[in-house]
Amino acid sequence: MANQNFLPDQYDRTDALEINHNYLPEQFADYEEILAKVGEVVRKGDFTLGRAVDQFERDFAEVVGVKHAIGVGSGTDALFLSLKALGIGEGDEVITTPFTFYATIGAIVTAGARPVFVDVLDDFNINPDNIEAAITPKTKAILPVHWSGKPCRMDDILAIANKHGLKVVEDSCHGIQAKYKGKGAGSFGDFGAFSMHPLKNLNVWGDGGLAVTNSDEMAEKMRLMRNHGLIDRNRCAMFAYNSRLDTIQAVVASHLLQKIDHITESRIVNSLYFDSQLAGVSGITIPERDTDEVKQVFHIYSLRYERRDELQAYLEERGVDAKVHYPIPMHLQPGAAEWGYKPGDFPVAEACCATTMSLPVHEFVNRDQQDKVIELIKEFYR
Amino acid sequence: MSTDRVAFVNLPLRIRDYEDELVDAFRKVLRSGAYIMGPEVAEFENALKGYCGVDHVLGVANGTDGLIIALRALNIGAGDEVITAPNSFIASAGAIQMTGAEVRFADVGPDYNLDPAKLEAAITERTKAIMPVHLTGRPAPMDEINEIAKRHGLYVIEDAAQAIGAKYKGRPVGSLGDIASFSLHPLKNLQVFGDAGFLSTPCKHLYERMSGLRNHGLVDRNTSSEWGLNSRLDTIQAALGLVQLKRLDAWTEGFRSVAAQYREGLKDVVSVPEELNHEYSVYHNFVVLADRRDELMQYLDNKGIDTKIHYPILLHRQPAAKHLKLPEGSFPVAEDQVQRMVSLPIYPELEDSEIKRVIAEIRNFYSA
Repeated sequence: MANQNFLPDQYDRTDALEINHNYLPEQFADYEEILAKVGEVVRKGDFTLGRAVDQFERDFAEVVGVKHAIGVGSGTDALFLSLKALGIGEGDEVITTPFTFYATIGAIVTAGARPVFVDVLDDFNINPDNIEAAITPKTKAILPVHWSGKPCRMDDILAIANKHGLKVVEDSCHGIQAKYKGKGAGSFGDFGAFSMHPLKNLNVWGDGGLAVTNSDEMAEKMRLMRNHGLIDRNRCAMFAYNSRLDTIQAVVASHLLQKIDHITESRIVNSLYFDSQLAGVSGITIPERDTDEVKQVFHIYSLRYERRDELQAYLEERGVDAKVHYPIPMHLQPGAAEWGYKPGDFPVAEACCATTMSLPVHEFVNRDQQDKVIELIKEFYR
Repeated sequence: MSTDRVAFVNLPLRIRDYEDELVDAFRKVLRSGAYIMGPEVAEFENALKGYCGVDHVLGVANGTDGLIIALRALNIGAGDEVITAPNSFIASAGAIQMTGAEVRFADVGPDYNLDPAKLEAAITERTKAIMPVHLTGRPAPMDEINEIAKRHGLYVIEDAAQAIGAKYKGRPVGSLGDIASFSLHPLKNLQVFGDAGFLSTPCKHLYERMSGLRNHGLVDRNTSSEWGLNSRLDTIQAALGLVQLKRLDAWTEGFRSVAAQYREGLKDVVSVPEELNHEYSVYHNFVVLADRRDELMQYLDNKGIDTKIHYPILLHRQPAAKHLKLPEGSFPVAEDQVQRMVSLPIYPELEDSEIKRVIAEIRNFYSA
């Protein structure tokens, strides 16, 4: 597909390759059942915050284990609306990780605040031990990212937040069905943000997302903020945004929510198989899995590889769609220049960016394909 | 229609005759897997350029986001002021406030649009932009507004959410300011099947900046030049929009034809909207000023005719605007209109018999 809009690499479907990251044509090979339900929405004219949205929100809240889920336009919107709902804005600081997708930082900046970065651990997640040193009088919130679907050390993060009176917004865009000590990722903080971008584990046919919370008050505020602050057809309690999950996308999401156990399980099985076969290969570092404490859902399956760029090219030439999520940390992006960070500030994140590579582990990857990938990687390092 | 009621809107009726074409377009995107920024988005953007009379069109998630992105692209934010009309939909003021800027209002004229004569009094040293709203699909007096903007060094952002296809002195709305934002909400004249919108601008530089802002600030696959939003027009909605757009000219004719019949049939009993020689209105709403408005609405409701008020609470009187401390009496023209205004059903699919019924019942009400 012509990619004139500079979407991340992940989106390009490379039909010449045999093992792809993009599985949408397989996933939606049979879309007629969903399309029929979409047709009902259209014929009723129930496009905006329709019944399917309500139903999906209730079902999604149950999956995460929270009181409220509120459908919004995207995961990015879920993040910045959460920050705004918590009163975070101009002049405030939000502590987060430099090893993330642009949206995490875009959401903080859109809210009017500025991100303050803290380095990550070898598992790509923010290092709780370094958070306190980054707190200033301006700090209002911690925004941990459950990178790749592995939950952060939420006990430690919540303890710090409580001690310093900070809000917590979880970027759980990768983390549907992930668990930390038995509780759903996204359910720990004041808000959790989820994405249903087409390539997320739970996906729709366009942009969509959810904010979740256990607070009745915050849920009500979020519902206002996503819909112009309207308390009824004509009265506006607060000036706000338009960021609604489309009814037709809620129909798609509801359909896939029935399959989420299978989707998640496939990713875990495929990932752990790669782990087992690649363990011990010289040149590869597998992050700590902490399987006692966490359920990691592998939205992205990333290891760290020596001679990463060479390996990626080697695999691509042989039909394997290996990707890099992502090569440049946020503190070294042009947009971060005004904050004065420099190379070397966050050595672990920088090392991760230089060495990380992702292999497809979605439910349409089969064991033969995995064995082929494993053989190629072993061959490369021989 | 299955019932006798004259409905205020009826989108399912509009698409009935070409549902298959829509479904085919939908299926094509589904098969492609390109649900984000697929080729149909650029195709739709290109097709819209002619309607906006500019070289640059950019799909976004909705019309409100369009306004926010436009303001951000013009570096308008905290400490700045933007002037708009107090009788618009909430999003006009909401978008301004959400950038951190402060909304300022100026009163409107008999056309429901910003009155240039009232505009200068609202300008302060903090004012950065004027945001005229082409309310009801009637173009605002853009020559006068642009002249004032130029004199004070202000940007002009057209809120064209209701006005696709409208023209001012032969030029399409969307080409009359620095940036214009359009809505494709299901209830608009040109609509898709969820939230969507687009921006138009004659300026390549602004277009490029807004392209980044709607998509995480990405300038290439791995570099973000500035932190942005995620506000993309879904490929599916663009594909459906392409099917809809083919019919827009015919629909616009339909809206105008209903308006002409209402105007002719009602001009001596209520105050009907004018259409000046240099204006080409698209009648997203047909708003009349009526004596005993509430009684009239009740009467029409009893007769099976749906009406609405766009919008019954002026922006400066909303609970959200309390901090602006603008009492009743701040904008006398808008405040007078809002007491008397009522919107009649208007859409291309209205049958002549229904239009005649609406006219007859209003006349009955006033002759009783």
